[in-house]
Amino acid sequence: MPTLFIRQMTVIVIVSGLAMTPQAMAADAVDTRTLLQEIQELKKRYERRTAELEKKLKKLEQNQSKQAGKAPSSSASVRNIKDNSFNPSIGVILNGRASNFTRGTSEIAGFGVGEEGERGSEGLSLGESELNFSANVDDKFYGSMTAAIVREDGTDKVELEEAYMETLPGAGLPDGARAKAGRALWTFGYLNEHHAHGDDFADRPLTNRVYLNAAFNDDGVEMSYVLPTDYYAEIGGGVFRGDDFPGGGSVSGLGAWSAYARTGGDIGDNQSWRLGIYTLQSDANSRASNEDAVTFVGQSNLYAADLRYTMAPTGDATKQEIIFQTELMRRDDDGTYNDADAGTGTLNYDESSFGWYAQAIYKFAPAWRIGARYSRLHAADTPAGFAGSALDSEGHDPETYSVMADWTNSEFGRFRLQYNREKLDKGDEDNQFIFQYVMSLGAHGAHPY
Amino acid sequence: MKRSLGFVLAVAWGMALPSPAAAGLQIFSCEPEWAALARDVGGEKVNAFSATHARQDPHHIRARPSLIAKIRRADLVFCSGADLEVGWLPLLMRRGARSGVQPGATGYLMAAEHVPVLEKPTLVDRSLGDVHPGGNPHVHLDPRNLAILSKELSRRLIQLDPPNTVYYRNRLDAFQRDWRTAMDGWKSRVTKLSGLPVIVHHKSFTYLINWIGLKEVATLEVKPGIPPTASHLNNLLLSARSQKVKVILRTPYDPAEASVWLASKLGIAALMLPYTVDKEAPPGALARLFDLTVALLEKAHAEP
Repeated sequence: MPTLFIRQMTVIVIVSGLAMTPQAMAADAVDTRTLLQEIQELKKRYERRTAELEKKLKKLEQNQSKQAGKAPSSSASVRNIKDNSFNPSIGVILNGRASNFTRGTSEIAGFGVGEEGERGSEGLSLGESELNFSANVDDKFYGSMTAAIVREDGTDKVELEEAYMETLPGAGLPDGARAKAGRALWTFGYLNEHHAHGDDFADRPLTNRVYLNAAFNDDGVEMSYVLPTDYYAEIGGGVFRGDDFPGGGSVSGLGAWSAYARTGGDIGDNQSWRLGIYTLQSDANSRASNEDAVTFVGQSNLYAADLRYTMAPTGDATKQEIIFQTELMRRDDDGTYNDADAGTGTLNYDESSFGWYAQAIYKFAPAWRIGARYSRLHAADTPAGFAGSALDSEGHDPETYSVMADWTNSEFGRFRLQYNREKLDKGDEDNQFIFQYVMSLGAHGAHPY
Repeated sequence: MKRSLGFVLAVAWGMALPSPAAAGLQIFSCEPEWAALARDVGGEKVNAFSATHARQDPHHIRARPSLIAKIRRADLVFCSGADLEVGWLPLLMRRGARSGVQPGATGYLMAAEHVPVLEKPTLVDRSLGDVHPGGNPHVHLDPRNLAILSKELSRRLIQLDPPNTVYYRNRLDAFQRDWRTAMDGWKSRVTKLSGLPVIVHHKSFTYLINWIGLKEVATLEVKPGIPPTASHLNNLLLSARSQKVKVILRTPYDPAEASVWLASKLGIAALMLPYTVDKEAPPGALARLFDLTVALLEKAHAEP
């Protein structure tokens, strides 16, 4: 309003300036007088309006100060919500377990296994306690950071699980396109991009333990694009540093890349599915496993396919639901292996192995679910020179049977009991009982499908 | 290798072509009532899709792949808002990455932002159950709200599709005229229900209760989103008797056991109101929803 007023005043000043030029003086005196009169009238009108506006403004200000005076008497908590509305959302995951194993050791025959892929510790222990901050940065970007506090070798360590920025729709990319940069649980199969606390079992299947060291979360960038089709179709890919398993010891800082394609849809009102194919190609400069005893150097290429199917008999997944999920993975290792414990020395290695798991979850009451899972690895042939080393499966294919039951009080708290029968090498089988709780505090973003 | 790459490209190209069935404005609604309103106001110029159906609890929906695809191509996202869909809609929005339907855009319409919202909590804590900081989001069961929203929706449709301005204006005029007549009819029927004491399963009927002037005595849920317990129901038995509760209301997606048990103990009716319309409901469905709701309440009231 004031700017408008100033502009109008300027017009008046210019007009009156013109009126006083010699040319105007020379003009007909009557004309000048009417012009002056008009200007006078205009001036009066504007003065009147200014006064009115000032009165209005004063009134508004008074009202405002009245309201401000009232505010403290209204509930303080309402104001508190607004006070921190620009802070990032904070979420905490508490995760604890009690485990019992019948075998002292747990080596997976024929494979070098990274630290995260190993069996958890026995007895009472905390799982990964996660701390997550996330928020929209501005109208174009979203940021999220998740730190996991874990116990390793008797000390608590902070592991940066995720720290990434992501474009929001409106960042200027074409519709359907997204870019993500930083460290994140990247798209590779179903489980990898999910935080472990949302899993349906207390541990990850053999495929993810052996091939991804529980989860691939290297530093990198990833692009994805949802096609403008009636049914869901998405393609994407990324480039990564190459430091995280299945890579390792990256020198170039650009040692891995990935690509994927996914499709999915609904069958009627109450069923939906998603199918994907993926590849992750890593140039491993030095991939350590089996507590640094086994080292791989060379090209390690992973291929995966996953399928997930959900069915809610009544359409309402909060009451009853069946979830079926499977992933297949294949790894081609071409380079050299060295098992220091077995004293093999550095030998050429060019072999493929594959593994898979399948699981079914049945929610039969709003708070109760049961589930079963089978996972299996098909070890590679043992090249000459590796007999008796960690890479020698002795013709055994590792496998695990798991069953679980969990109880969910609200969507933020869950208890689970799980039994595993693992037969990972030629020796005895390992019978495992795991009791676990997962609690989620504060903001907790939605889980992807 | 070259041939397979060519094949992949051909498939991708085929997928990238929009299908001809998708004529008109694409409206993604979170709940069936908003799809129905879009069909009432937008007529044949819109293609309205509902992400949920009447037997689903809109609080808890999986962000399933088909919904990402729908958001990806939507011209307007029409939902209840007030955090009802907070568990799944923001994720779909990020994944679908459609710039025209993001918060603040013309293509983003949240019902609760345009009507007076009831039950805004002054204290928000998870120990209080699944409370919505934005207030009660089930706003569609007050016909006055639908009148307000039809106008806002029409305004958005005109902004998104200016060539059909006249069509949308005429359609809105016709809808508002019919709706006013219908509302007068309902109002005259529900005046005698005013003050009727009811128990509800979840706070799904707050706006209906407020419009008619029913008296909500209690909820079967201990706290919002926390299922009824035996001890809570026993307490309700006493207070319901003393307050002469006439009927227990629930939605099709609420479990029936608690309300049926309590109703049989009290010797009153456990009434399942339709709550919303069919996912694919044709125009006029919202009017029929209120016809049926009012008729069911009248019947329950008439029973001794």
